[in-house]
Amino acid sequence: MNLIVCMKQVPSSNEVRMDPKTKTIIRDAKSAVLNPFDRSALEVAVQLKEQLGGHITALSMGIADTARLLEEAISCGADEAMLLSDRAFAGADTLATSYALSLGVKEIGNYHLILCGKMAVDGDTAQIGPELAETLGIPHITDVTQIVFASEKELIVSRKTDGGRQLVQVTLPALLTVVKEIAQPRLPSISSILRANKTPCTIRNAQNLSADTSRTGLAGSPTQVVKTFTPPPKKAGVRLSTEPAQAAREIAALFEEVK
Amino acid sequence: MEQIIPYSEQFSVYLKDESRTVGHAQSISFPKSESDVIAQLSDCSRQNIPVTIQGARTGLAAAAVPFGGHILNLSMMKQVLALRQENGQFFLTVEPGLTLLECNQMLSNRRLATAAFSAASLAALDEMEGKSYFFAPDPTETTCTIGGMAACNASGARSFLYGPTRNHITALRVVLANGETLSLRRGQAVARHRKLHLTTEQGTNYALSLPQYRMPNTKNASGYYIKDNLDAIDLFLGSDGTLGVITALELKLTLLPASIFGISFFFAAEETALRFADTVRHQMPGLASVEYFDEAALSLLRRQKETGTAFSALPAIAKEDLCCVYLELHSDTPEENMEKMKRLGQWMEYCGGDQSRTWVARNESDLSLLHFFRHAVPESANQIIDERKKQYPLITKLGADMSVPDDRLFDVVHLYRTTLASAQLESATWGHLGNNHLHVNILPRNEDDYRAGKALYLQWAKAVSAMGGAVSAEHGVGKIKAPFLSLMYGPDAIEEMRQLKLTLDPQSILGNGNLFPSARKETWK
Repeated sequence: MNLIVCMKQVPSSNEVRMDPKTKTIIRDAKSAVLNPFDRSALEVAVQLKEQLGGHITALSMGIADTARLLEEAISCGADEAMLLSDRAFAGADTLATSYALSLGVKEIGNYHLILCGKMAVDGDTAQIGPELAETLGIPHITDVTQIVFASEKELIVSRKTDGGRQLVQVTLPALLTVVKEIAQPRLPSISSILRANKTPCTIRNAQNLSADTSRTGLAGSPTQVVKTFTPPPKKAGVRLSTEPAQAAREIAALFEEVK
Repeated sequence: MEQIIPYSEQFSVYLKDESRTVGHAQSISFPKSESDVIAQLSDCSRQNIPVTIQGARTGLAAAAVPFGGHILNLSMMKQVLALRQENGQFFLTVEPGLTLLECNQMLSNRRLATAAFSAASLAALDEMEGKSYFFAPDPTETTCTIGGMAACNASGARSFLYGPTRNHITALRVVLANGETLSLRRGQAVARHRKLHLTTEQGTNYALSLPQYRMPNTKNASGYYIKDNLDAIDLFLGSDGTLGVITALELKLTLLPASIFGISFFFAAEETALRFADTVRHQMPGLASVEYFDEAALSLLRRQKETGTAFSALPAIAKEDLCCVYLELHSDTPEENMEKMKRLGQWMEYCGGDQSRTWVARNESDLSLLHFFRHAVPESANQIIDERKKQYPLITKLGADMSVPDDRLFDVVHLYRTTLASAQLESATWGHLGNNHLHVNILPRNEDDYRAGKALYLQWAKAVSAMGGAVSAEHGVGKIKAPFLSLMYGPDAIEEMRQLKLTLDPQSILGNGNLFPSARKETWK
């Protein structure tokens, strides 16, 4: 089974720092990590490869330093990696990003399955997977929690819904977005890190991919960031009395407080 | 002023600590300042009421478990008092109730609670900009208080590089049993040979005769820290709450290394793992931790992961991996750590291992995972004992905390293995292999096992003392290990320690039952 795993570079901690002028995330290359959801997607790919054989390509769009993180993906089980990096890709929203990734997928070619994390921990949009599938014209299933059956022709997967659990059968090629809990990502070993060091990451720019630059980067992004702000920390909850009259008095007091 | 409250059932949680020992008390208080401590201690002193000092009760030697009298719980005293810079080195003064986790979280994002800061402290904080510091001692339980760490001279995995808590404390404020105060700064009150003179801020002079014993040349938290020309600070650090109440501590901060790699090396045989650790520990610069997990410890983790508990996030351990050495590398650059990692891989192969049987953590989240792995082992052992305790209430986990000199590592492991096998006891072993300091934990299945385990523990204490080791290397002696202290130093040394204590605390109200079975003339009822 030939697998492509989309991977994003994200800030390493939850305390994301914003640039007050550009209103965008300050991406400190040194402290960047692979999006944790994407690491789970990679682990699913590695397990499928262990089961069915095949080849895994990690794919990302980002600054040149992302190559370092793709090397990490190779150390965790990917066979090779491709980075789409060009000034023409900069400032992309999810639509422009998924277009660029679709070009990367076509460049890699001959795939059965694309795996994405459900979302990235910095943007939380959860749009890249579905948009990429639509751009490529293949089916997609979101929020997958388990691979129930896998072959090179079809998959049966389980996904969580508000009403419970849904089993979905899909013919390949297809795209899945996975939740973090679907698999515990393995840590690299010394041997796999040394192997990854010797496996160069393929880098492609807009020209290599014959990209329509009106559809990439800022030019291809209909999303406009007007304002960003850090939401105030949520206040601690209040436990109400189990005695109804007392609970009513407490609720009334809370109403007074927030008036 | 915060009041002394008569003991009632709602305070039952304050009768025990992580050792699972349960005590009893007549009253409790939660001082919020040094003046509260002085008032409450003076009150107890006047009435000759024993006082047990508590922090977060995460200790493993029952030092914070009251055996009667009053509980002085310092967990509400958690202010950050001052920051100063001297020759590029930063020093943070805190109250004893601040936890290690709180302290290092504040330092990691430089969001110190500055309410008590002077203009000079605020200026020092500005000078920290752009650099990350931490308080280096790292006991596994990070919810411990800084005061508790000082009281037992706590260590942790990284003490292989950074040393124990005492190496990182430069000043103390101490309230003595009579309510008088000492302000101690390293280098300012030093013994002449074994005579130490102390003067309280109220003007009382104390002439202390320090015991004559020689401490072992190993990692050690057994009894008072005594040596020629002792710094007074070192007497109070590790004194298990028996000499005074620490109300403020100045911490020497350490610059956070730019690159940290954590690597777990798995082996199919204990002997290979020990040979590897012994080979690398003194040859690899910047090695912060040299930890070990034996086959039983890894089995505990496998079981926890399978049962789908809170430990389900643990990485899966391959069945052929029977034991593990964890090394942590602290360096100035990731490139430097990569080079060291390559050399360690070669050494692993040289010792008979396979470098593909390793886990490498190179970022914060992967390192957290390996630290979680480390923490999950004792937690899992505690869960097993808690479960067994329901049927056999008498039993507790019997955790060894002994260290030996470097050249006795293989001897002590041989001792543990042969005696455990012949006693047919269940155990799990983990801990600080680099310091020849393994926590061999006997897990009693019933009360017979518990009794046999205690006897074995005593046998080990004798053997380790004979090897030139320490009966407690990092947990302190508290109440649980008091009988072993006598084995290690002999009864004369214990009597010298007791006399030293009585000079500072004539009624022996502080830390009743810690270090000595009881230093009080009359047993408190």
